[in-house]
Amino acid sequence: MAARAPVAASGRFVDVFRKWYYNACGFNKLGLMRDDTIDEGSDVKEAVRRLPEPLYNERVFRLKRAMDLSMKHQILPKDQWTKFEQDVKYLEPYLQEVIRERKEKEEWDKK
Amino acid sequence: MRGIRGISQLSRRLYAAQAARKVDFAAAGEPLKFVPQEVQVTKLPSGLVIASLENYSPASRIGVLVRAGSRYETTDNLGVTHLLRLAASLTTKGASAFRICRGVEAVGGSLSVSSSRETMSYTVDCLRDHIDTVMEYLINVTTAPEFRAWEVSDLTGRVNLDKKLAKQTPQIGVIEDLHAAAYKNALSNSLYCPDFKIGQITTEQMHTFVQNNFTSARMALVGLGVDHDMLKQVGEQFLNIRSGAGTVGSKALYRGGEVRHQTGAGLVHALVAIEGASATSAEATAFSVLQHVLGAGPRVKRGSSSTSTLTQAISKVTALPFDASAFNANYTDSGLFGLYTICQANAVNDVIKAAVGQVNAIAQGNLAAADLSKAKNQLTADYLMSIESSEGLMDVIGTHVLSEGTYHTPEAVTQKINAVSSADVVNVAKKFMSGKKTMASSGNLVNTPFVDEI
Repeated sequence: MAARAPVAASGRFVDVFRKWYYNACGFNKLGLMRDDTIDEGSDVKEAVRRLPEPLYNERVFRLKRAMDLSMKHQILPKDQWTKFEQDVKYLEPYLQEVIRERKEKEEWDKK
Repeated sequence: MRGIRGISQLSRRLYAAQAARKVDFAAAGEPLKFVPQEVQVTKLPSGLVIASLENYSPASRIGVLVRAGSRYETTDNLGVTHLLRLAASLTTKGASAFRICRGVEAVGGSLSVSSSRETMSYTVDCLRDHIDTVMEYLINVTTAPEFRAWEVSDLTGRVNLDKKLAKQTPQIGVIEDLHAAAYKNALSNSLYCPDFKIGQITTEQMHTFVQNNFTSARMALVGLGVDHDMLKQVGEQFLNIRSGAGTVGSKALYRGGEVRHQTGAGLVHALVAIEGASATSAEATAFSVLQHVLGAGPRVKRGSSSTSTLTQAISKVTALPFDASAFNANYTDSGLFGLYTICQANAVNDVIKAAVGQVNAIAQGNLAAADLSKAKNQLTADYLMSIESSEGLMDVIGTHVLSEGTYHTPEAVTQKINAVSSADVVNVAKKFMSGKKTMASSGNLVNTPFVDEI
């Protein structure tokens, strides 16, 4: 039990750092989520293709809004920034699946 | 004792070193004896039927047959079986689409799926040593499909391709039209996804259909060249997922009617039919014999079917080229029996009238004994030859155990054929003349008679 306390404390510290880092990245000021900013390689493209339609539409909306803001050199009013707590990793499960499938193919090709 | 016997054989074969070595090898173990085996059928408490035949073949064939053909579709999910047929190799809970494909390829096997109006059958072929590997994929495909939305939506192109290919064969179109015209429900459903449903069938609908129809009581596990106990174990362990009978399909209601499909083709394909016999009815065999009396297609490749009575009758009324054969389809609760003619547009009227006239002649009792025995021979030969191939045998065993839970031996079937008397055939011919007719035609229909004119 005694050994756990520092871990929890450091866990808290990591959380605080992550939150600070999230805000420092700045994409949330354009209304984006973390998964909107992943570089669109072939894996991400495939994962995006698999998104259910509502999630896909929301993603496109956020990206368009961000491009519009970026072009105008503006950021959203502060109350519309994406909050760290509201950021959903909506693409993650699909992306993991795509990567898993790709790895499986690579394994087979090695044989 | 064994050693001594070996030596005695060795001495006899001493002049041929090769042969002697072989004998030595054989003498080391018990000599292999292949006792011909019967088809074994077991019905599990869940209703799952397991049938197998040990044929000592190095290649095995295992199939899962499910009573979930297009007749179980409802108006909401029309075309779902077409999509299921194409979705057979998609990702399952146990193996990805990629792994199924590569895994089956790696052992030189093959996984195929086909569906009729009544049954969907998933079949794997493989060498005996790889049964376990391939069986795993078969079980995954039939019991644990995932139907991922993106994989299913990729199938739309293949649905279109299937439909385009089917359109190139007028025979398929005519038979689909015949079913649509003949029945009010169930059997009227097409094997192909209707146009308005392409791309509209959701994965939920596919899951629901599988959930409601792929139940143990409606499945049969059939194996050729496999051990029955092994197959039974697989059935008990893996195919007992959904108990119960699932949704009950509605009984097919025959109505009779007509569907005409005018196209730019010069030929006319026409099929005139009545409600025939269901697969289990007593008349089914008589209808099959009548089909062969009338002619069930040429017996000699590229030869004319001049011995078929239909051809003889029609060649009296037209000099133009034509093709005529009798059509017979048996389902669990109904059937269709009819005359299929293909001919030039301006000869249709004569050809169809002559074909129906020939059945009428038989209905009047004009059935030569030679024709009857020839038809019986053809039917018996067709049946026996069809169960020679593993595809045919699998099909026959599957149909029998799915519909009746037992397997009819070839002896029983041939006996049934032999027992058909001339009066039986005349009787079913009378049924054709008096029965309510259905007609489907396609091509240049300018001279084609309507169903009420026949």
